[in-house]
Amino acid sequence: MYHHEGEDVFILDSHVHLWDASEENIDHEGGEQFIQCFYDYHTAFTPEEHQWDLETYRKYGPEKMVRDLFRDGYVDMGIFQPTYLTDFYAEGFNTTDQNAELATEYPERFVLNGQFDPRDDAGLEKLERLKDDYGIRGVKLYTAEWRGDSKGWRLDSPEAFEYLEKCAELGITNIHPHKGPTIRPLNRDAFDVADVDDAATSFPELNFIVEHVGLPRLDDFCFIAAQEPNVYGGLAVAAPFAQNRPRKFGEIMGELLFWLGEDKLLFGSDYALWEPDWLVPTVMNAELTPEQREEYGVSLTTDIKKKIMGENAARLYDIDIEEKTQTLRDDAISQQFDLGETETAAD
Amino acid sequence: MASQSTPTVDRTAVLDRLDSVTDPELDRSIVELGYIDELCVGPAVFVRFTLPTAWCSPAFAWMMAVDIRDTVSELPGVERVTVRLADHMHDEEITNGVNEGRPFDAVFEDATEGVEAVRATLDAKARLARQYRAVEALLAAGLDPEQIVGLRWTDVTFDPETERAAITTGGVVVYAPLLPLTEYVDKARETGVLLDPDDRLFVTPEGIPIAPEAFERVHHRTRSAKTNMTGQGAVCEALQDARYGRDDPIGQ
Repeated sequence: MYHHEGEDVFILDSHVHLWDASEENIDHEGGEQFIQCFYDYHTAFTPEEHQWDLETYRKYGPEKMVRDLFRDGYVDMGIFQPTYLTDFYAEGFNTTDQNAELATEYPERFVLNGQFDPRDDAGLEKLERLKDDYGIRGVKLYTAEWRGDSKGWRLDSPEAFEYLEKCAELGITNIHPHKGPTIRPLNRDAFDVADVDDAATSFPELNFIVEHVGLPRLDDFCFIAAQEPNVYGGLAVAAPFAQNRPRKFGEIMGELLFWLGEDKLLFGSDYALWEPDWLVPTVMNAELTPEQREEYGVSLTTDIKKKIMGENAARLYDIDIEEKTQTLRDDAISQQFDLGETETAAD
Repeated sequence: MASQSTPTVDRTAVLDRLDSVTDPELDRSIVELGYIDELCVGPAVFVRFTLPTAWCSPAFAWMMAVDIRDTVSELPGVERVTVRLADHMHDEEITNGVNEGRPFDAVFEDATEGVEAVRATLDAKARLARQYRAVEALLAAGLDPEQIVGLRWTDVTFDPETERAAITTGGVVVYAPLLPLTEYVDKARETGVLLDPDDRLFVTPEGIPIAPEAFERVHHRTRSAKTNMTGQGAVCEALQDARYGRDDPIGQ
């Protein structure tokens, strides 16, 4: 729980990973390039005193993750977003099964999301298996992922629609397509957000949370999201702008609030790309400049920040914040880290 | 004895040419962005450039390398241009492909989209971002939305002497700062928005004239194109700082 100007702020970090990029797990040069690229993003947007060394960053393990999120990072709950990358990493980079270990140990603290890829063999059965095993409510999708000769897939293809139908049938209502920076953007398609438009119109019962708000196609994303009531924006990658590009952060938030509104934006640290211990306070203290408030006709009030930091994601995942707060007050993690009632104000 | 007919190649002239090359995604000069890190000038020109990350789009890197090669080649006295892209995941392929004059899709056979299609998309975005700045300048100069959407290309004349643009509307001349208008017109011509002197100066993202009641909506869309470009610019700049620190790139 974070405290801001006398108020409790429930932090539901909608984008966390537990990955393994250790050298033993890398079996393709792409795996090394991928983690190096992640590390560049980490150092580019992390205050120097909070930067990790590359070895820690490759594989940090479950204990550190739990400490970083819940003991030091103000996070009440986190949503695991898997990243399979099985062509690069022998055991996968960050799979649902890997994440499940921690998620099942702390079921009150984590939401575990799955994944599908229409190019998989027997992929529909795999999706059913994830639902049966873990009761997943959401999936993270990488439409730009290369596989064999394929340079990606589209969310509005007939093959993808089969999977979205299956999601609707199984009650997997939260679809998180990654539309943002990508490792091998050989083709513009990797950034294209147009396929979300059709999918969202065709499946009004599903929510589409576009991760990384379409950067570097923010304008296309905003335009589409403004027209589709079931399209949301995940702020992973945009959030750390608040640290070393605060003006730019204000501008991006101005656009997002202008086009999408305060009910459709979800905070995510993208842990371990960035850590909530510094990112949460930075975003909570961020403001638009007076010129930006005037230009966009919006502002970042505490109420709006509370929605972005937790309430919006809680609504999508049917989490009752009041009830959850009670439950978490003396769960295993609160006891282990002595979080209970003795938290100090962070602002 | 030196031949009288061979003009000497001037370093400033080469830098001027390089300055006209933009990072297509950011619509900013590669010199201003600090990408140029080695430059040898003579009848044979050598340009080495480095991008903010090794994972920058190969298509974007390719466009910049080709633009460097082509624009410097046009200078009198330049007999050969060699471009080298450094520290990129595809630096060898791009360097060799561009210096050998091979087409992009021959070098990257698995690219699903031609480099010119990518360029056209980015140029269209750049036009929108520049339109936003030009329209902001006109609003600040006192024009109202109805006047702005009614403007034709012929209504604008440039006076580099006074660094002003003169806009004729309803028989009245209004002056605005030169740069946002010339930058807009350059990109609008390049993207085919302005072909005929009688063409509307500003159009929607879809390329049609703007109805007065649609002015605000279109202006907001061009604003988001501007925010996207400068936002992406901030990502690249942060990555560049993280990777190289702030050294002394050529031309700054």
